[in-house]
Amino acid sequence: MSNVATMKPVRPALPEWVRRLPEYLMIWVPLLLSAAHLVSFSLWTIWISFTPSTLVPVSGWVGLRNYSSVLASRNWQIAFDNLLLFGSAFVLLSAATGLALAILLDQRIRGENVLRSIFLYPLAVSFVVTGTVWSWLLNPGLGIQKLVHDLGWTSFKFDWLIDRDMAIWTIVIAAIWQSSGFAMALFLAGLRSVDTDIIKAAQIDGAGPVRIYRRIILPSLWPITITVVVIQLQFAISTFDLVRALTNGGPGIATQLPALVVYDLMFQRSLLGRGAAAAVLMLLILLAVLLPYAAWRYVQRRRAAHA
Amino acid sequence: MPITTTRRRLLAGSAAALALPAFARAQGAVKPRLTAISQWSAGSDGAAITALGKKFEEKGGVWQHSPVPGFTTEMMNKLRAQIMAGDPPACSQLKGPEIAAWSKIAPTVDLDAVVAAAGYEKVVAPDLAKLHKPAGKWIALPLQIYSTNMLFLSKRAMDKAKADKIPVTWADFNDLAEKMKAGGVASPIANGGTRPDDGQKFEAALAGISPAAYRAAIMNLDKKALEGPEIKAAFAQVRKIADWMDPNVGAQHFSTNLKRFVDGDMGMMIMGGWAQGVLRNAGFKFEDFTIAPGPSDNGKPVFLLNADAFIFWQRKEADLQAGQTLMAQLVMDPAIQTMYSQITGSIPVRTDVDLSGEGWSEGQRTTSAALKSAIASNQALLSMAHNMAQENGMTAAMIDVITEYVKNKTIKPEQAATRLADAVEGAR
Amino acid sequence: MRDRSFAPSRILIYLVVLLIAAAWLAPLAVVVLNSLRSNEEIAQGSMIGWPQHWAWSNYLTAWSGFCVAETCAGIRPYMLNSALVTTPATIFSTLLGAIAGYAVSLWRFRGDTWIYGIVTLGLFLPQQMRLLPWTIVLRDIGLINTLAGLVLIHTIQGLSFTTLFCRNYYVAIPHELIRAARIDGAGFFRIFWRIILPLSGPILVVTVIWQFTHIWNEFLYGVTFTSGQQQPVTAALIALSAAVADIPQHGVQSAAVIIAALPTLLIYLLGGKYFVRGLTAGAVK
Repeated sequence: MSNVATMKPVRPALPEWVRRLPEYLMIWVPLLLSAAHLVSFSLWTIWISFTPSTLVPVSGWVGLRNYSSVLASRNWQIAFDNLLLFGSAFVLLSAATGLALAILLDQRIRGENVLRSIFLYPLAVSFVVTGTVWSWLLNPGLGIQKLVHDLGWTSFKFDWLIDRDMAIWTIVIAAIWQSSGFAMALFLAGLRSVDTDIIKAAQIDGAGPVRIYRRIILPSLWPITITVVVIQLQFAISTFDLVRALTNGGPGIATQLPALVVYDLMFQRSLLGRGAAAAVLMLLILLAVLLPYAAWRYVQRRRAAHA
Repeated sequence: MPITTTRRRLLAGSAAALALPAFARAQGAVKPRLTAISQWSAGSDGAAITALGKKFEEKGGVWQHSPVPGFTTEMMNKLRAQIMAGDPPACSQLKGPEIAAWSKIAPTVDLDAVVAAAGYEKVVAPDLAKLHKPAGKWIALPLQIYSTNMLFLSKRAMDKAKADKIPVTWADFNDLAEKMKAGGVASPIANGGTRPDDGQKFEAALAGISPAAYRAAIMNLDKKALEGPEIKAAFAQVRKIADWMDPNVGAQHFSTNLKRFVDGDMGMMIMGGWAQGVLRNAGFKFEDFTIAPGPSDNGKPVFLLNADAFIFWQRKEADLQAGQTLMAQLVMDPAIQTMYSQITGSIPVRTDVDLSGEGWSEGQRTTSAALKSAIASNQALLSMAHNMAQENGMTAAMIDVITEYVKNKTIKPEQAATRLADAVEGAR
Repeated sequence: MRDRSFAPSRILIYLVVLLIAAAWLAPLAVVVLNSLRSNEEIAQGSMIGWPQHWAWSNYLTAWSGFCVAETCAGIRPYMLNSALVTTPATIFSTLLGAIAGYAVSLWRFRGDTWIYGIVTLGLFLPQQMRLLPWTIVLRDIGLINTLAGLVLIHTIQGLSFTTLFCRNYYVAIPHELIRAARIDGAGFFRIFWRIILPLSGPILVVTVIWQFTHIWNEFLYGVTFTSGQQQPVTAALIALSAAVADIPQHGVQSAAVIIAALPTLLIYLLGGKYFVRGLTAGAVK
């Protein structure tokens, strides 16, 4: 070791991997930790879903029994139907609202900054707060209906919150209020990146605004629409705090959603195995949504690579 | 866990304080410390546990309470995490059959010696005691008792109905509700619409119609009883109750309605004694309402027991062990139980506490008398809605059916009874 | 289409926008008004109403008065706890996500698409499902009941979002820029600090806003993995809204909601403009 010190002027050529160790660490450690936790947590949940675990995880094997009892339960069936309804209604309506807001804001209107902040601010609020506040507003005895009654219009009725057929729409309303600002931001981003030269050319050709939107601008928003839909779908599937604070699954069990059922089984009913089975079913629903998206992305990339 | 308080008999709470120095010497003069988890964070619950903590500190202990606000589920998540981490709290809030279930996943403290020293067993209702010693040894201690089917009557609504007789049977109850309706009370029933609230309506109905059927069907899950006519009758009664409620209540908590109840816009409420603590904290007067045992068709009070308790988890640390002993002594102490119940509106677990004195309300005396009578006539039952009769999974399965029935008036009582039996089968 | 004249169509546009904006502001207005009404006043009227007496004391109670069990210090200490978790977790997840996104998009290494794909899947894994595994992990590394444990959870979980958005943003940076720098002998970090980071303003704003609000508003992990004195602000809010043993405290609750939301609201107000700008460049690929 002593002669290393005497050779100070000449820096020994470190092997490439040692020299680049810091960057490998910075890249790989976080990414691997993140990937490892996702993979291992998912595998763990799948394993638990086949065990008779109740209060705490235990080993054992019950085959598909947890799955069959989840699938047979009224709660899950209602939750699944609700997810179809809530998921599609929320995704469509929040994308539409977001697009409409973006187009309106893109009209070079005054006070765009203020308006944009107004549409974005609900994103800053926690789901629990959103749910609580909307439960005040939508409760017929406390909120909007009472206000209108007190103002004199006593036949006014807005009681979706206590109507088991309509209650799911109150969640749609609150969710749209909370998250269409994000869709708006994405669409606005898309509108702002449309090539202005093409628009100018079209204007010179005498195309009106409606025609320009239909023929040029909206088609170019297609990729963003997919992003919006995927992000909102993910939001719809994992909706939890919002429902818990707004309806807590009620009236009765009319507004159950899969995430609520998972939490309820795992922690409220202390049926970890069944809760895990419900979680795996939820993951399968997610995959059913994500796989087509991934395929679409793959095709897109292939096309881009060939172009 | 070594408990070395045999030299002195702790007969009453005042004696516990005297005994402490001797106990501390035996433990090597450590300062007792207690780590505790509960969901009691707000209102009268928060005030009561805080007062208990003060007493603990007065006795020289270090009080380390970790409240988990919100639902019981979050409190249990916290407890589960601590247990899985091998670091359970010295004691935590837990009740009913969950005590037995949770005691299987982590070692608990054998409290037999300290319970015997306090002579506690003799003064606790036997059905209740059983829940706290699932394997024969005391591992948990009940702290306070509620009956979930007390009947709260609004004075002003009674005036409107020109009624002064407290209903005894469900028929009386239904008559009174009709009278109130006719007398201009907007909603004769003031209950809320949460899941446990809906569960309470059903259990009160069934227990009032037939305590024996309740015991068989709900507590023992007897298949025949679950398909019996009493269940259908109970659902029919629940429908009447639901029809008299303000439909707008949605999933709101009962406390949202308290003002309208006192004002006489709402007439009756089937609720536990905790409502009394809430009413008093809110500044309402005892003259505004009357508390009576819930309707019972055989005329004798039916008591649907709900008891909050602490379970004690094994710890190796000497100071925590000393803290557990001190806590156990405090929880069993009649003076402490008196203090606690007077804050929350419950009644003491100890049957030997005299409620005639200052600080007790008429409602609490009624509740206590109802308990004594119910024990004598074998009508002291365990509440389903508040997780005393069954473990959480079974309770939740039952309440699914009940809450759907309350909110969906197209379901027939017969249908609901079938669904309840099916739900029980599915959750077994 | 983009003229500034005041034709009827433009008036219509303004009318529609303002109407929607009013609807969007209504819930906030209700909370602000309720925060200035006493609990009694709200109980007597409805949840929507103009304050008869301005109950400014609600804010004092919310800030430093109300009790969570034996601690009567209002929301203040819980705000601090949330800040102590949210700030480092936001910084770590943003920085690490930026480096990862930069590596995945501009350096391309073996297995990058796979690992990137898995990491972004994390956006879709439900929170409730991860609670118990996190319990086991925190137990094994001895971080249960520590704020560091929460920071770790939020950093690792946050990487899914930050990596995804940063990668999408960096893909658009011309490769020539990087190639030239490499020829000049600049290494991985040098290029990151000198070239990438200065270009990253908009996307970092997006990830910071996103991470900050999500972590600040989180409740489930916050109460499970902390005890008593370390609980996050959401726990204090829930304590105020739990009406099990109390009549509703709507006035104080509203004031507390406003105070608790101030940091995130402020971040959105200040960063809103950059949020859209960052998304313009980042999310679209």
